[in-house]
Amino acid sequence: MSKRNRETGRGIEEFEARLVSLYEGYYDKLVRYVYVHIGSREEAEDIAGEVFLKALSALRSGQEQGTPTQWWLFRIAHNLTVDRLRKTGKHEPVPADSVVLLGKDDPVDAAEKTIEYERVIEAMKQLTVEQREVISLRFFWGLTSKEVGGVLGKSDGAVREMQRAALERLRGIMGVQR
Amino acid sequence: MMTEDFDLILDECIERISRGDSLADCLSDYPAYSERLRPLLESMYEIQNVYGAAPSADAKRAARRKLFAALDKQHQTNRVLSFFGLVSRPAILATVALLILAVVGSLAVQSVLNPPTLVPSQNGNFAFLISDNPGDVNDFENFDVTILEVKLQPEGSKEWLKLTPEIETVDLTQVQGERFEEIWRGDVPAGQYSRLRIYVSETRGNLKSTGQTIEVKVPGNVVHMLTPFEVTDDTLTIYTFDITVVGIGDDGTYMLKLNIDESGT
Repeated sequence: MSKRNRETGRGIEEFEARLVSLYEGYYDKLVRYVYVHIGSREEAEDIAGEVFLKALSALRSGQEQGTPTQWWLFRIAHNLTVDRLRKTGKHEPVPADSVVLLGKDDPVDAAEKTIEYERVIEAMKQLTVEQREVISLRFFWGLTSKEVGGVLGKSDGAVREMQRAALERLRGIMGVQR
Repeated sequence: MMTEDFDLILDECIERISRGDSLADCLSDYPAYSERLRPLLESMYEIQNVYGAAPSADAKRAARRKLFAALDKQHQTNRVLSFFGLVSRPAILATVALLILAVVGSLAVQSVLNPPTLVPSQNGNFAFLISDNPGDVNDFENFDVTILEVKLQPEGSKEWLKLTPEIETVDLTQVQGERFEEIWRGDVPAGQYSRLRIYVSETRGNLKSTGQTIEVKVPGNVVHMLTPFEVTDDTLTIYTFDITVVGIGDDGTYMLKLNIDESGT
């Protein structure tokens, strides 16, 4: 907590209001970001919720100062994801019923989609952590290659190369699985 | 073709598709590379299809409930800590602090508590509107939000300007979608504004199903808007405050949700 917060309490109010606004704007993005790394939607939803509780806890303990931003939430999500992966040691298999099925009315269509979804998730697991990071930041966080480079400490050219390599690898794996 | 060039083209196509362009449009702009681009961009679609689905509504509601419960808990803790903080300090320090606050801080306190009130005028350069993005407000016969005042902070200033709505209470069921209620119009000094606060006193509605009156809590009775905006002398700046009511559980609990994307100038 900043000195200003302790003295006036006004900073805390603004922090909390900002955090609630960020919740509405970024919860979905956080779930997708974590989902790409963890491979389980339920766990991703748990972690995304935990991000906001951690943020509040950081306010209470004085670890965090200033106005919360999407980057701060992203950092918390990233750390929680790394912790979770470290604890599990590997990706957990994704239960077939945990993915959202389009066309649930038709059981055959639903079964085919389940197989297709599992195929993509399995292929994503074959990527390196950095390649998954590029995919999630680029496709789901909506960052440009240059911005992703800023996050990862790499040039935008290197990010574009990783992006192409990731997509080629996915295509190769998914092509073999077909 | 150089690999770097292909990487650039692929990146551009990904960007364009993210903005709404079609795969066919992109491929037709680069016919020489379409054979190589197509499978990679199709992979992108497949990934987005799997991971891009919205989280379950139940999980989102549960996370929101936990966040609000943690906020409430923190408020209670702060109140207790603040009480013990006051009584534990030596009385002399408290007296000196109060005297200093009274003398030195009087102007600042005056500015925060009683900022200059802006005068309404039908020909003014600033209008404040209330609108309601449809949510669960249709569960209600009526849902009234009472706004006591709105404060605006000019950029770089510690002072606030205040406007008192001419229409205090707005029924959200009547301002859904494109509809709105103008609650104040008047002259605001031209310039950049960094913050806006909306002070809400009552938010309550009557459920259609049971007729029960539901009160919805707004943390601190104030909504903070941190998106900067500009007011000019020669054009009308319209500021829309877009809120809606959403159910957050199966127990009939509702909350007021700010639609950030729809709010502002």
